[in-house]
Amino acid sequence: MGIEATRKWSNYAWTTLTYLLVFLLVFPVLWMALTGFKTEIAAITVPPTLFFQPTLDQFLLAINGGFGAYLFNSVAASLVSTALAMVLGIPAAYAMVFQMRNKSSNDMLFFVLSTRFMPFAAILVPLYVIITRLNLLDNLFVLIVVYTAMNLPLIIWMARSYFMDLPKEVLEGAWLDGCSTLQTIVRIVVPMAAPGLAAAALLAVIFAWNDFFFAVTLTYTNSPTLPIMVAAFTSNEGLFLAKVSALATMIILVPVAIGIYAQKHLVQGLTGGALK
Amino acid sequence: MSQANQVVQMPMLPNMQKRAVPTVARHEGRPWLHLPALVFMIVLTQIPFLLAVWFSIHAWNLLVPSEGFPFVGLANYITEFIGDPNFWPIMGNTLQLVVGAMILALIGGTILALLLNRPMRGRSVLRGIATVPFLVTPSVMALIWKNLFLSPTSGMANWLLHFIGIRPVPWFSAFPLQSIIFIVAWEWTPFVMLVILAGLQSVPGEVMEAAKVDGANAFTTFWRVVFPLLRKPYEIAILFGTIFIFQTFGEIYVTTSGGPGITTNTLPYYTYRTALNSFQIGQAAALGVIGVIVAILAARGMLRLMTERAVSERG
Repeated sequence: MGIEATRKWSNYAWTTLTYLLVFLLVFPVLWMALTGFKTEIAAITVPPTLFFQPTLDQFLLAINGGFGAYLFNSVAASLVSTALAMVLGIPAAYAMVFQMRNKSSNDMLFFVLSTRFMPFAAILVPLYVIITRLNLLDNLFVLIVVYTAMNLPLIIWMARSYFMDLPKEVLEGAWLDGCSTLQTIVRIVVPMAAPGLAAAALLAVIFAWNDFFFAVTLTYTNSPTLPIMVAAFTSNEGLFLAKVSALATMIILVPVAIGIYAQKHLVQGLTGGALK
Repeated sequence: MSQANQVVQMPMLPNMQKRAVPTVARHEGRPWLHLPALVFMIVLTQIPFLLAVWFSIHAWNLLVPSEGFPFVGLANYITEFIGDPNFWPIMGNTLQLVVGAMILALIGGTILALLLNRPMRGRSVLRGIATVPFLVTPSVMALIWKNLFLSPTSGMANWLLHFIGIRPVPWFSAFPLQSIIFIVAWEWTPFVMLVILAGLQSVPGEVMEAAKVDGANAFTTFWRVVFPLLRKPYEIAILFGTIFIFQTFGEIYVTTSGGPGITTNTLPYYTYRTALNSFQIGQAAALGVIGVIVAILAARGMLRLMTERAVSERG
């Protein structure tokens, strides 16, 4: 066997290993999806069965178990909070890149990053007290406001890093043409940075969608989101594995689809633009 | 600025040295467009934090309203540090969770990144698939891990282990904290992978080739040549990973609720319990403030380590 053949062979081996490891990594998710199509009895059978008569019963059970109301809360909380964070964050990023002096822009960035790093538990206590006093506990509105605050730093630092990459000539042209700041943002900056801003918005949706902490502490009974539904599903008596798997599969579809779609922007969004 | 330079910057404040564009002097007056966002963040994070500090120096138990809201100075903090037998074990749990999950994720993420950096068929699809554990709803997946894989009766882990003669392990009662560490590490492995992959893209292909031609094996190539070039990505992965793993909550809530005993309580989880289970608001506020201080100290410590090493290297 020549060197070339050995090399080719070892190449295949590494590639196979890669496929195998990635498969193992996502296996729990795949197996969960599969379990959602089983009957409860089949779901707890040992040894686990790979081939079985698939059924949609568990999905129907989950959907009929109040899925719609939870779904509405999850969708409303993620979309509205993301929209609010965009409305607040894009002008802020614009000011940081195009208007503020370097030092204040950097101070602002530092402040933005530090708010995202603050442990949620620290502000939970006062938030809980304030919200109780305002009689807003268990209200979707509260969740929207909190998620907006949670995602605002992400939107600002991502928008900022995209705005910095915009060609300056176009912007200066707009200013010379007498565009107002608002016009510049709406007509020039946002369309030009649209792909990046869309990715930022999608990441914000994932964060809000996946949140459990605020959902469970601030809105458990009246306006719970989908992750709360899963937790509630298992506390019932009896067999629940297949049912929960079906429900969980439906819930994770959204962040998984979005995340894979916006994959290229994930790192930047998570690390404050420190890596591109 | 070259791609490589982009990556090798300060982890905390990226692109700082990039000037905010010095533009045509068309902006009269002070900029104000950032003010709504700034005010919003101050109202939602800074004011609550100041309130937490205020609460923390008072005794306040919602279940005993007759006690009122008396000023107690640092008593709540002293209670934690000296009087509360749970506090130090819980700090230990927190440290174990953060360090344990971070190390596992670093190892797994590095292996995946190196493998997925090789040219191969379907590479970008594989990369997308490998990010899935990081995208899935953490609390939901933790519940699935507990019931589908780590269940003592029907879990797949025990079924696989029986092939090598290991008796069923009741994972969440025998190894509660370790089980949670494992799940959290699983979630964060793709994050490390993504950051390292981004870093690997700035390692010139010639460097790898040169090392191979010199007869270095894969491990030596990585350790001697690639790893030093990846310092910044690693620092970023550790800084951000640590801070986010510290916040782990849903995974604990749905699997063990902090038990058995306090074995899976972490500082944020204990803060939540003190506030919303025992309604000791003053005490919980003190725990929250301690949490913020710990996070700040950890972040500063990591940043200092990173910058100091960078400086000593340049000198």
